[in-house]
Amino acid sequence: MESDVIQHDILVVGAGLAGTWGALAAAQRGVKDIGVLSKIHPLRSHSGAAQGGIAAALGNVRPAPGSGGDGPLEAAPEDGEPADSLELHLFDTIKGSDWLGDQDSMEILVREAPDIVYAYEHMGCVFSRLPDGRIAQRRFGGHSAPRANYAADWTGHVLLHTIHEQALRYGVRFYSEWVLLDLVLQDGVCRGLIALDLASGGLHLMRARTVLLGTGGYGRAYKITSNAHANTGDGVAIAYRAGVPLMDMEFVQFHPTGLYKHGILMSEACRGEGGYLVNRDGERFMSRYAASKMELAPRDLVSRSEQVEINEGRGVGPDGKGIHLDLRHLGRQKIMERLPQVRDLAMDFVGADPIDDLVPIQPTAHYSMGGIPTDNDGRVLADGRQAPVVGLYAAGECACVSVHGANRLGTNSLLDASLFGRRAGTAMAEEILGGREVAPVAGNPLGDTQARLRARFEAPGTESVAALADALKTTMTEDCGVFRDGAGLERARQAAAEIRRRFRLAKVRDQSRVFNTDLLDALETDHLLDFTEVIVAGALARTESRGAHYRTDFPKRDDESWLKHTLAFRQGDEAPPRLEHRPVRIDWERYPPQERKY
Amino acid sequence: MSDTANLRIQRFNPEVDRRPHLETYRVPLTPDTTILDGLHAVKAEQDGSLTFRRSCRHAICGSCAMNVDGHNVLVCKTRLADKVAGGKTVTIRPLPYLPIIKDLVVDRTAFWDQYLRVKPWLIPPDDVPEKEFRVTPEEVAALQNAETCIMCGACYSACQVVAMGKRYIGPHALLKAFLRVLDPRDAAVEDRLREVGGDDGVYRCHTIFNCIDACPKGLNPTQAIETLRGLAAKRKALEAARRTRQAAWSGARAP
Repeated sequence: MESDVIQHDILVVGAGLAGTWGALAAAQRGVKDIGVLSKIHPLRSHSGAAQGGIAAALGNVRPAPGSGGDGPLEAAPEDGEPADSLELHLFDTIKGSDWLGDQDSMEILVREAPDIVYAYEHMGCVFSRLPDGRIAQRRFGGHSAPRANYAADWTGHVLLHTIHEQALRYGVRFYSEWVLLDLVLQDGVCRGLIALDLASGGLHLMRARTVLLGTGGYGRAYKITSNAHANTGDGVAIAYRAGVPLMDMEFVQFHPTGLYKHGILMSEACRGEGGYLVNRDGERFMSRYAASKMELAPRDLVSRSEQVEINEGRGVGPDGKGIHLDLRHLGRQKIMERLPQVRDLAMDFVGADPIDDLVPIQPTAHYSMGGIPTDNDGRVLADGRQAPVVGLYAAGECACVSVHGANRLGTNSLLDASLFGRRAGTAMAEEILGGREVAPVAGNPLGDTQARLRARFEAPGTESVAALADALKTTMTEDCGVFRDGAGLERARQAAAEIRRRFRLAKVRDQSRVFNTDLLDALETDHLLDFTEVIVAGALARTESRGAHYRTDFPKRDDESWLKHTLAFRQGDEAPPRLEHRPVRIDWERYPPQERKY
Repeated sequence: MSDTANLRIQRFNPEVDRRPHLETYRVPLTPDTTILDGLHAVKAEQDGSLTFRRSCRHAICGSCAMNVDGHNVLVCKTRLADKVAGGKTVTIRPLPYLPIIKDLVVDRTAFWDQYLRVKPWLIPPDDVPEKEFRVTPEEVAALQNAETCIMCGACYSACQVVAMGKRYIGPHALLKAFLRVLDPRDAAVEDRLREVGGDDGVYRCHTIFNCIDACPKGLNPTQAIETLRGLAAKRKALEAARRTRQAAWSGARAP
């Protein structure tokens, strides 16, 4: 495995919305030499799978006057009362987070939201429109006003293509199908990274003044997930291995409407446009769980409600583990115009046409609220509190600012990825234009990585990596899913440790250099093992229920003991992570914790 | 229906093989099994060296376009049962007319070079409004044929003109050019139409319709190419009209 050194001012890992915004924002501020690595082609990034919209309180749309807030939507008069406000968006996001989000960060999220949506629009993003030409908006769960700005039900796709195109326009260089293997982090300073060029099989030391991780989430730790095969938490695991703590990893969002057995996303826009959830008896059961918001309650609450229906025998499907999504009353025209992709997916994967048929769905692992702790400009925090790792940034789903706390609201993720990616890009540009140099590399980190890969190729075992990964995902789904308890989590902890022992011996069967996806699968499985240990440890320790983390043995939120973030520090291969905590930043005057009801 | 199916897969390891060859594998079959599931089953249980691209597994990322029984498809949304009815074997090859890197993975460099050639990015006018540009729902509807393209390459590698030579811009990049030309926010219409109206552009299309047949998203590149042909002839007039429209936007900027 030959190597040569590559150098850029900025290296970005991951080419979804967060990473690409980081690159573009830095380029727009005058940084000339920017490289972006992506283990799949940039346009294959999972940001493109987002469907329903991106949140911003533009106030273009309002419920018809006199309809009591949940009536039909109409264009809001441009010179009338504002139809939405930043304060409302902020409060909805705080309440959605079950008060675990840091409120100063959340304030940035909602305040800069309109600007980022207009930025996308000015760059050519094809949004759906109102008759007067303004951007159309729809309702979404947990939001008390229609503020999901959308492009039919392929919003992520048009945002991703738009931002990638503009990064090309600004001369950003993309390394397509290059895989991050290690960060070169010495004495608290990030000096670059080690990457594998998948097509040639070559390993490279890549040096940079600053590195931005935008590597996305880790839904692939679960058997049923909406996430792409690529979503294996690589950046999260690699940062953790390099000594960076991980924050709030126990908070994993389960989306209420994944296609039954497949987990493929059926956008929340289905319910935003008025769709129902019904059980085996045809009952709109959400009336028993969230009488006011019904199907548009936040995702954690809706997924739990579905799971209760299933557990109590009111599910649908051959094994009773599904729920029905009913869109039939929306009518053909609305479905064709607003939800065309969702209709295709239902027809292609479960053979149901939502115009005429009920669509079987189930909760599906969807979003990682936790991740690499950062400040409001994307600087990675070495202690999880305030000390930055010099030269290292993170943004998007791999990062934890935290703007989503214990539960993210739909449409806030495209916003988070875009906006904090842009802020990280701006901060990196300032740092570089201010004279930050490339830090020298001590020792032979490339040699260390090579040795690790060689050991993987020469492992003595015969067990299949795929089978071990599958066992881990089954464990996580059964014992660390929508509902958790101490006994199940302890079981998951032991099972994961056992799988890790067996994985050490598992061998890469493809011994060739060129485009070795068998090696890639093994590296990704290694990452799953690294961070699932943190999810389970955090979930075991947190003896309360908050947002997406629900302990049946501790069913109440416990602000006295647990209104705080979890920080997990790696203690080597054998020992469990060391857990610390830090307080949540709360504006006690304006937004003190309240009971969370919908 | 039997509970297994045969996949005949084209294999090529550049470190060992002189030319590609076919190998057959038996995989489990249920009514829901996709061809991608079948490939995963082979890789997990029979041959870890089988190499293919995939990611989202629901037809939005564009990774897994391959040639199945002679047709370009996304294997993630193609049901195996539909292809092996009556005990037949399904044959899976890489996208045609592109260099093979390994097994089912092709080198799409020529494809991306043409994408770059049409400058796929919007070039906005110098003056942008404070809020959004006003674009009507009808104008947005006209863009739908192009905005949902996932750049999978199925059309490109089905195109007989591409098969004859890689100078042709190709259906995917012409569809992207169409998106920009028809977008009232774009300020480079004349340049774009000059490029697509040149020697390697819209007049090379033989309207064989293979691109329409191959597109897994149901798009119509041929129609976009026809539209561009019509507009290329009057590009100066279109540019002038566009400038007037954009001037009105900046004039309408909120005080």
